[in-house]
Amino acid sequence: MNKYDESWEQQINALLDGELDKADADELKTAATDDRELARAIVEAYQLQQLMDEIPVEWAPASLGKCLRAIPREQRSSSRIKLLQPRWVTAFAAVPLVIIAVSMMQTDTPSDAEIVKAKQELAIAFAYLDKAGAVTGRRIESTVSNTMVDAVTGSVNKAIKLQNENSKEKEV
Amino acid sequence: MSRRYRQWVKEYQNQAWSLARYLLKDAQEAEDAVQDAFVKLWNNQDKIDPERIRPWLMKVTRNGCLDRLRRRRENVEFNEGHMAGEASGPMQDVAANELGGWLKRAIEGLKEPYRSLVVLRDVQQHSYEEVAGMLELSLSQVKVYLHRARKELREQLAEVRP
Repeated sequence: MNKYDESWEQQINALLDGELDKADADELKTAATDDRELARAIVEAYQLQQLMDEIPVEWAPASLGKCLRAIPREQRSSSRIKLLQPRWVTAFAAVPLVIIAVSMMQTDTPSDAEIVKAKQELAIAFAYLDKAGAVTGRRIESTVSNTMVDAVTGSVNKAIKLQNENSKEKEV
Repeated sequence: MSRRYRQWVKEYQNQAWSLARYLLKDAQEAEDAVQDAFVKLWNNQDKIDPERIRPWLMKVTRNGCLDRLRRRRENVEFNEGHMAGEASGPMQDVAANELGGWLKRAIEGLKEPYRSLVVLRDVQQHSYEEVAGMLELSLSQVKVYLHRARKELREQLAEVRP
């Protein structure tokens, strides 16, 4: 491949791109006069570039341009359609319900005065319950004790009576 | 905002279309790919640096085309192996006025990212920096890959040149 090598290849590309300074460009041209392969590579590179330049601009079809211009309108309408999807409709319907629930929760929240009053009433109620409990307790106590006394005295009387009858039979 | 978008359509639709055509080799699919890219542009316009609209759009167009090619299960490889495909096989006695058509087919036959590089840099003449941004490659990678792609095309041209 004579003197033509990869470094020349890079120089050729730089030359095509207009990135080669004058000194390097002159060096490349001088080298090309002694190296047929390098000279041929430079010529072919220029021919390729010329062909590239001659490739006509490809105009997008009119139908594409029309579709592209319609994108903003379609995107806006599709975002509106998205808002009409069932989940969004449900969400929108739920909003007033949530507001009502929150407002109801707010009205159910007692004021400080109401809390104090409720506490007082609760204290009275507990006091009443204590008294009632005490009365009920005494009644239960007396009932239980009477029942127990009756049970004991009854069985004792029965035993005495039975003993007396036995002693009378013995005497007879 | 809509007026700004219309301006982008006017300025960039041909470039996006041309790139999609080279990559997909199918007009209808190229139209779909460009439409997808512009829908993304419309939906993301507030997030994109206004100075970088064109590279962003070209990058999105290309990525969309590559996705379509993958779905088509075509052999799109990013390695540096064999670069030329069947479409660019040697053609003898190609008349001079047919060289343009031959070159287009030869470019279409290149593998990625060489094909995109040639289209963006040599056909559409974007700057190296822009091409690097579009393809998410470093500047040196762009230069090295482009130099390989050009060499490949040059060698093919030498074979078909009358």
